[in-house]
Amino acid sequence: MINRRFFLGSSLALSGTLAMPAVLRAQSGPIRLGTLTPLTGSGGAYGPVMASVVKRAAEEINKAGGVNGRELLILSEDDQTNPEAGLRAARKLIDVDKVAAIIGTWASSVTTAVAPVAWESGTFLTTVSGADSITLLPHRGFLVRTQPNTTLQGRKFGEFALESGAKNVTFLSPQTPFTDSQYAEITKVVTAAGGKTTKLVYDDKKTTLRTEVDSVLRGKPDAIIMGGYATDTAILVRDLYRASYRGKLIGFGYAVNKQLVEALPPDVSEGILTLSPSAAAGSNGYAHVARLAGMETPDTYSCQVYDQISLVAMALGLGRGDTGTVIRDNIRKVSQGGGERVDTAVDGLKLIAAGRKVDYDGASGPCDFTETGDVTDAKFRYEQVRGGKITLIKIA
Amino acid sequence: MLTYILFALVIGSIYALLAQSLMLSWGLAGLVNLGLAGFFAIGAYASAMATTWHHAPIPAGLAIAIIVGGAVGLLVCISTLKLRDDYLAIVTLGFAEVVRVVASNEVWLTGGTDGIPGVPVMVPRDLGLGFHAGTLAVVVVAVALVYGLQRRLLAAPWGRTLRAIREDQTVASVAGKSTVRFKAEAFCIASAIAALAGALYGHYTSYVAPDQFQPLVTIYIFLAVTAGGNTRPAGAVIGAYALVAFLEATRFLADLVPGLAPVQAASLREIIVGLGLLLVLSVRPNGILPERSQKAPAR
Repeated sequence: MINRRFFLGSSLALSGTLAMPAVLRAQSGPIRLGTLTPLTGSGGAYGPVMASVVKRAAEEINKAGGVNGRELLILSEDDQTNPEAGLRAARKLIDVDKVAAIIGTWASSVTTAVAPVAWESGTFLTTVSGADSITLLPHRGFLVRTQPNTTLQGRKFGEFALESGAKNVTFLSPQTPFTDSQYAEITKVVTAAGGKTTKLVYDDKKTTLRTEVDSVLRGKPDAIIMGGYATDTAILVRDLYRASYRGKLIGFGYAVNKQLVEALPPDVSEGILTLSPSAAAGSNGYAHVARLAGMETPDTYSCQVYDQISLVAMALGLGRGDTGTVIRDNIRKVSQGGGERVDTAVDGLKLIAAGRKVDYDGASGPCDFTETGDVTDAKFRYEQVRGGKITLIKIA
Repeated sequence: MLTYILFALVIGSIYALLAQSLMLSWGLAGLVNLGLAGFFAIGAYASAMATTWHHAPIPAGLAIAIIVGGAVGLLVCISTLKLRDDYLAIVTLGFAEVVRVVASNEVWLTGGTDGIPGVPVMVPRDLGLGFHAGTLAVVVVAVALVYGLQRRLLAAPWGRTLRAIREDQTVASVAGKSTVRFKAEAFCIASAIAALAGALYGHYTSYVAPDQFQPLVTIYIFLAVTAGGNTRPAGAVIGAYALVAFLEATRFLADLVPGLAPVQAASLREIIVGLGLLLVLSVRPNGILPERSQKAPAR
């Protein structure tokens, strides 16, 4: 009996969706966009906020009249931080929901798996993945990323370490697609100034990193750059404290975030320096995302997906269409090339409707793209944990 | 929509191959193989490396995957000869993690966490719908071949011996059967099938990376085999297709509940999947197609 019900239930659900697409493609209906973020799995610390920021940003746009009078409808799927599951979710967004764009793929492996199905079906893909290889894919213009590429980030990390007075720098990181290129850049900068660097790659699924910490501390580093994400960085910071390391610690802003600082005792996290891509000082974008995300210091990924939905909405507004091709053909016309500076899609869409040229500067940075889809220039926020609070040092 | 259904069917067929692999090693030989994802990975990498970097034709890539998968399976089985049940499960789980960690870190060999993009496909991609339909035909043929092979093996004395070993190793060896040989053969064939699934997966998605082979895949296949019946090839195949249908259907079920934040919908999906397994297990503990007692052929 139940077997039959089980099959009936699942087949009903599948066949029910068969009827959907006909309704969806109507020119007058809402414009459909998808988010594909890691809601579960190792990216689960970031994906939920990203998805809800996109949803709220779309609500704002809708409240202000939508895009060319049409509402934005956001469909959210979970990539489970797994390329296999991510690909299945992407196919559903593309083939069933007929979205014009997929926003927010996070892990580089997920992006690489999803990108081919996106460009083949003419769906625009915006991502926060950092691996250099992604923009080298033959994506025919259907992909942009707002994350600065790793060469630039590596250089900034190296310079930041030197500025903090370090000569003997260690890079501690899990294996990711950008570990090598980042380390190469750090080494270039540090050795040019007469310092030296070492690297140790750890397994980010381990629950203790004491062995790795002990082995690194034998080299007596005076600065350690941490290349991991929130979960493994928390373990690393704790084990470094237990091993009585009191030198400089530098990490990504998305790893040493508010949750991590709150979870650790103040003297464990005291003094950690962080670096993250940023909007220019005084830009409204960042404060705006903070409001949308409901937190004081939103991480760079939330800022980036906010910029992505804003750019996609404005590109659709300018191109007066609802497809990935329209976004591809218009996104650079609203992101760069002079015009009135805007930092929200609502303002941008008003100006576009009035026939004016806009140049979007977002919450994560100026958002200007090269031909291959990389950001051309990025500013960074330098912050430090002081007394259990993340404090801004400078934006440069 | 049609593309999506064809896509789900291809994935279902690949899961069906994995499920048949697990049915053979777990259901029949009683070897709890939590390392399924590892063999899946080995097949995917073997074929992807041969065809992408060394420009071997795809059939050769598939053959290499089967041979390498079988050989590694034999190696794992021989190194775990004395282990059964929980202990074998722990070791094979470890094996799958070793494969994943090696694939992530030995950049010179596997391309590291970047993976191998641009793996050649079996049917030209620009055929659109034809690409999915053609690939589906290929994988369905693979499922049918493996299914036929399994049916033959199980009806033969070999299959009966295997079941006898699963029920009681001592009795089987007293009856003069070399339990080691039979278990090793079963494990080797099962690993080769999983490797074939991996190779086909790589040639469909054009991309192979360590992250694809997390233990999640193994758990899904255990779910499929448990639901379908872990001792019959037909049970495994039906279980796998039902699982993919169910996993995909949960997306739409979660959408039906209004007012959920995306993360809540994702969690709801996981809850539904868990409840589904509990339901199947409590109502049909032996799966949809439970084991039939087979009579010895009349002389």
